Amino acid sequence: MQIPTRTDAIAIARQRGDRIAGVLPIHYPRALLRAHGVQPIEIWAPPRQDPTAGNAQFQAYACAIVRHGAALLLDGPGRDVDVILVPHTCDALQGLGSVLLDFIKPRQPVLTLYHPRGRRQADRLFLERELRRLGDRLQAVTGRQPGDAELHAAIDTEEAANERLARLCLRQSPAALSDRERYTLVRSREYLPAETFITLVDARLPERQEDAGRPAQDGARRPVRLMLGGIVPEPMSVFDAINGMGAAVVADDLACGSRRLYKRTRGPDPYARLADSLMSGPPDPTLGSPIAERAEYLTTRMRESGARGLLVYDVKFCEPELFDLPQLRDRLSAERLPMLHVEFETATTIAQQTLNRIEAFVEMLQ
Amino acid sequence: MNLPAQLSYAVGYGLVGKAALWRQRRKDERAILARMRQPSGQLLAPPLLSSARMKELMSRHYLQARYATGVRKVAWVTSGAPVEILQALGFLLIYPENHAALCGARRKAVDMCVEAEHAGYSRDLCSYARTDIGTVISGKAPITRIPKPDLLLCCTNICQTVLYWYRVLAHHFKVPLIVIDTPFLFEEAQAHQIDFVKQQLEEAIPVAEQVAGRTLSFPTLKDVVHAGKRASELWLEVLNRAQHRPAPITAFDGFTNMGPIVDLRGEPETIRFYETLLAEVDRRIETGVGAVANERMRVLWDNLPIWYRMGWLSGLLAQRGVSIVASDYTYAWGELAPMMDPDRPIESAARVYLHPILNRSTGNKLHSMRRMAKDFQCDGVILHSDRSCKPYSLGQIAQRDWLANEVGVPAFLLEADHSDSRAFSEEQAGNRLEAFIELMEARG
Repeated sequence: MQIPTRTDAIAIARQRGDRIAGVLPIHYPRALLRAHGVQPIEIWAPPRQDPTAGNAQFQAYACAIVRHGAALLLDGPGRDVDVILVPHTCDALQGLGSVLLDFIKPRQPVLTLYHPRGRRQADRLFLERELRRLGDRLQAVTGRQPGDAELHAAIDTEEAANERLARLCLRQSPAALSDRERYTLVRSREYLPAETFITLVDARLPERQEDAGRPAQDGARRPVRLMLGGIVPEPMSVFDAINGMGAAVVADDLACGSRRLYKRTRGPDPYARLADSLMSGPPDPTLGSPIAERAEYLTTRMRESGARGLLVYDVKFCEPELFDLPQLRDRLSAERLPMLHVEFETATTIAQQTLNRIEAFVEMLQ
Repeated sequence: MNLPAQLSYAVGYGLVGKAALWRQRRKDERAILARMRQPSGQLLAPPLLSSARMKELMSRHYLQARYATGVRKVAWVTSGAPVEILQALGFLLIYPENHAALCGARRKAVDMCVEAEHAGYSRDLCSYARTDIGTVISGKAPITRIPKPDLLLCCTNICQTVLYWYRVLAHHFKVPLIVIDTPFLFEEAQAHQIDFVKQQLEEAIPVAEQVAGRTLSFPTLKDVVHAGKRASELWLEVLNRAQHRPAPITAFDGFTNMGPIVDLRGEPETIRFYETLLAEVDRRIETGVGAVANERMRVLWDNLPIWYRMGWLSGLLAQRGVSIVASDYTYAWGELAPMMDPDRPIESAARVYLHPILNRSTGNKLHSMRRMAKDFQCDGVILHSDRSCKPYSLGQIAQRDWLANEVGVPAFLLEADHSDSRAFSEEQAGNRLEAFIELMEARG
């Protein structure tokens, strides 16, 4: 079964009678949108999007997610979405959301979501109320008011898809799927309905299948096992490049990947479940997780997966990512887990300079 | 409390330090008075006499901080933080942003930024944060020695950057971090947002009490809020005096004299300082003294100052008869005064600290700029595109276009950084400013 493209997913959703939401990164309640008949299609710095229209609105020191994302909404296929959702992930996306609302004023409604920066009871209560506010806005846009049963059903379906995502992200061996295949599948979660995603993952990586991978060919050197961190791996050819250097991605700390491994929830109130779910993910700098907590999580994941080094592959100007790095490096270094940080400007190719640094890192780990 | 520290505090700060700073103030005042007596013909009016008092106040604050370890509990706080609770608990408050601004103004910031960069902090991060982190990591004291914190208080109402920055500090110092998370107001504040901030403030009290080792006195808190409100009102009055023609003060005077309203808000002597400053500004109005001798054009400044080029910028503009009469940045510490209610300190703080200009939409900021441009009769607006401050800067392109095209006020983007001079080109900035002034002149 082929993985549908974003274009396919939009066409299928339209046939189903769903509306399309263009959603900026990172965390949002998919189930709430689906229950309102809205299919989220996420926008993560598409490398093929000409950023000119975004550059006309934002300074060069705004990250590519903002500039390319704005361009896609203003001058690309994003013009055709029915609603735009901008989660308040960082100062840059705050700026994008605010400029859309106050100045650009696209024909589509622009919705926002503030995710609290802690995991205290006050945060949890606020998030629940914030989600109810978002639900009210979605109702105003779609004219639909899903009942509790519909909301619970949508949450159950999304949680089943989250489990498939966990299967992809947590049981990684170098050869069961190629890295690019695996992360193409992981990233299809950005736009596919949960039902389609579940079917795809079940077909490619059945639950009971040992994910031990194909045995290495005689004489072939075992790949260097890496953990990949950052916001989004663009262009996806980065995985081919990593494999070509004799390395494999066996774990990730990607915002578009493992940082969205939300846990199963229970309870009678669907909005409480949505809040619990969004607050159940792994440590994330954009959510204010303490650095020690992140370091502990990364160390554990690297030990579990056998990763020998952490490659942080970051979109340039990503402040939430940049602040943690020195202290994370110190902690990982104490655990004899080397870390390399490289930055990229979103484009369809990767700078040779960046590739050289990654290659040197892989060679060091060999 | 330890006895040697108390003794050192009493002598170093209480006896010797305060007296030395008082003498220095008198000397500074005599120098300013001498400049005032010089024949006119200068492009800029002499410094305000009150600025010597401001220097004494701020120097005393930092001197007190230098001797505080072991004597007073120290909290490091963000510039928009709800500090009244900590003040009422007796904490000595340190504002790393203010310290970084001082480093910027004295051209010490880049050295500290480089220290942080050597430790792995990217040059793309806020230069205030890099200056502070560089100071902490290196142990150097570019201005004065800053005491280690017993508590960190971070409020996200100015940016998310402070959250990441204070997490670094919390990890480094291993002290409690209180986060007051203020949801960004894309539109008017809603009940659940106010409730959220109020609940966090209430939950912060026992944490701060535990570190302080004492219980919060609500009458004291009420007094602190009252003093903060009065100081903020006075500050706003001072700034609004620049609506007169010629403007008796410029935004540069505002940048220079904002230290007490940021760092010492809620202190009785801050009220006295701004009363004195207001009286001096009124005397300038009465005698027709303009801050810029030949004021021909009036401009609004958006965003933080370029701390390390204030003298160059004010001189260049004064040569052309341009007076920067207002700044939405300095205004931020005054405009929320009406929301402060000493009788409802927590509830009103929840509202106040949700509403700084930086926690409100880009459209709201445009609205403020339009209002200020009208009230201060501005001929143009300079938007400092500050590489270090994304929440202030993103949206400026649209704001500039609206000001120019919809409001009819010339506006232009000046690329710089508030503290890192490596991101500033004087030649390029000067050329662009000249072109902007010519544009304003052409419009008459």
